[in-house]
Amino acid sequence: MCSVGDAFNIEITSLEAKFFKCDECRNEFRGIGRKVVCPSCHSNKVKPMFKEE
Amino acid sequence: MIPLDHDEMLLLKGMEGVLGIVKAGEHNKFFLETDKEEILLFLEPEDLLVASGFEKDEKTMKGLKCVLYMIRELGSPFIVLPKKHPASRRLKIVVSAGDRTRISCSITPGTHPEQDILCGSDEFDGVEIRGVKGGVEFKNLKEVQIDRIPFKI
Repeated sequence: MCSVGDAFNIEITSLEAKFFKCDECRNEFRGIGRKVVCPSCHSNKVKPMFKEE
Repeated sequence: MIPLDHDEMLLLKGMEGVLGIVKAGEHNKFFLETDKEEILLFLEPEDLLVASGFEKDEKTMKGLKCVLYMIRELGSPFIVLPKKHPASRRLKIVVSAGDRTRISCSITPGTHPEQDILCGSDEFDGVEIRGVKGGVEFKNLKEVQIDRIPFKI
């Protein structure tokens, strides 16, 4: 899914990462994966958001 | 399928390079750091961390284990360098994370938007590695020595 080190082999913009917002602590972050949790408070009450939000 | 527990590591020894594979395990959160932003990568326990070394000596094999250990056990972030960064050619080991990794020895800088490709030596070219329940599945894998070793430093 992601490679590192050999950095030229990854187009980071092509990752299907979404912006998320935590319902608990309002933290905003960009993430990818099936079980996304807030990196700040570890809550799983996170929602995808639009970039414009 | 080759069995792989969460406390084990697979070493695939080729003639020119080595691959190290561990399960993502319970440490499901990984950080991808670019020069502009931080992206969180959430993996499933059966997903894989795959490290590819471009030498086959003992130091490289120890290095594979150390790199994977730092990422999985210490939570070290993945540092994504900008394209054409001079450090890219200094790297001895590269790492991929996810449910599937494809190894290629013929990738050209800047031409591969796929996220699941990892550089590897010639004998691993075209190999597809997939994390499945209880182990690892391979496609297009030629005759290489595969060792299952404890994943501890």
